[in-house]
Amino acid sequence: MNEHEDSQVTPDLGFWDTHRFMLLIALSITISLILVSISMTLYATSGAAQLDLSRPGYKAVSNQTLTKDPGFENYPTSGSLDASSLNDFKKLYEAQAVKAKAVDAFSGDPLNPESLEISAPEN
Amino acid sequence: MHMPRKLIVFGLITTAIASVALFSSVSAEDTPITDAQINRIKSSCISAKNTLNQLHATDALLRVNRGQIYLSLSTKLMTRFNTRVESNNLNAKDLVSVTNRYNSALKTFTADYKSYEEQLSVALRIDCTNEPVTFYDAVASARTKRTQVNSDVTILHQLIDEYASTFDVFSIDFSKQNGAKNS
Repeated sequence: MNEHEDSQVTPDLGFWDTHRFMLLIALSITISLILVSISMTLYATSGAAQLDLSRPGYKAVSNQTLTKDPGFENYPTSGSLDASSLNDFKKLYEAQAVKAKAVDAFSGDPLNPESLEISAPEN
Repeated sequence: MHMPRKLIVFGLITTAIASVALFSSVSAEDTPITDAQINRIKSSCISAKNTLNQLHATDALLRVNRGQIYLSLSTKLMTRFNTRVESNNLNAKDLVSVTNRYNSALKTFTADYKSYEEQLSVALRIDCTNEPVTFYDAVASARTKRTQVNSDVTILHQLIDEYASTFDVFSIDFSKQNGAKNS
């Protein structure tokens, strides 16, 4: 009878053995927090954040991005060079150079205190 | 023995006073904002922030679209043409040199835009009703950084032209060499 009773008694478990499920959850959360912190740091420091138009505040312009440019072909890296291939490159390059230079980006002075109406008032 | 000590103490006090005076004059030069201007900033706060928000979004779009074109020009055309020239055992040194400078300018453009965008975000986070001077300074700093980004764009455009002229020189040399071989 005594032997049977002894076999029913649960063994003495330590603190960590008793709470190992909680420990697993806590550890998982901690690891995920560390990984999220690392990825957020990379996102902010790499310049990816500046290209991310899915952020709040950019919804109005996010559909205006150039997703595909059919005129921008990859120039073949292999093959012989002759007058024809040089001419092909010249045509491709000139067309894209015109596109690249078409806009004088970030020109103007929209942050001028006068245009923002934060300059000193005229007497 | 006492005189030098007095002199040292006098010198220290004079230096401290001069430093304080210099610091305050520099601060005054940094933010020459009058009370009337502070009131104007406070009253125009909402409209200024709206303008900044719009600029923030349109500049981001400009950065994405322009950046894509500038990058494609390098990766799809310049670098690939240089590789082809080299694979034909021809001298692409000048073309490679311009391409390297272009890529370097593109990196500078990216870094400067990042700096400008961060500064503009800082300005947008400032409560211009409570901190008008800080807001004004942040906008002024963003303005300087935006001008720098525009300068980077100008440099990129110059290098695009330079690559075209280097290509023309290469084409002329190539035609001359081929003409000489054929004759």
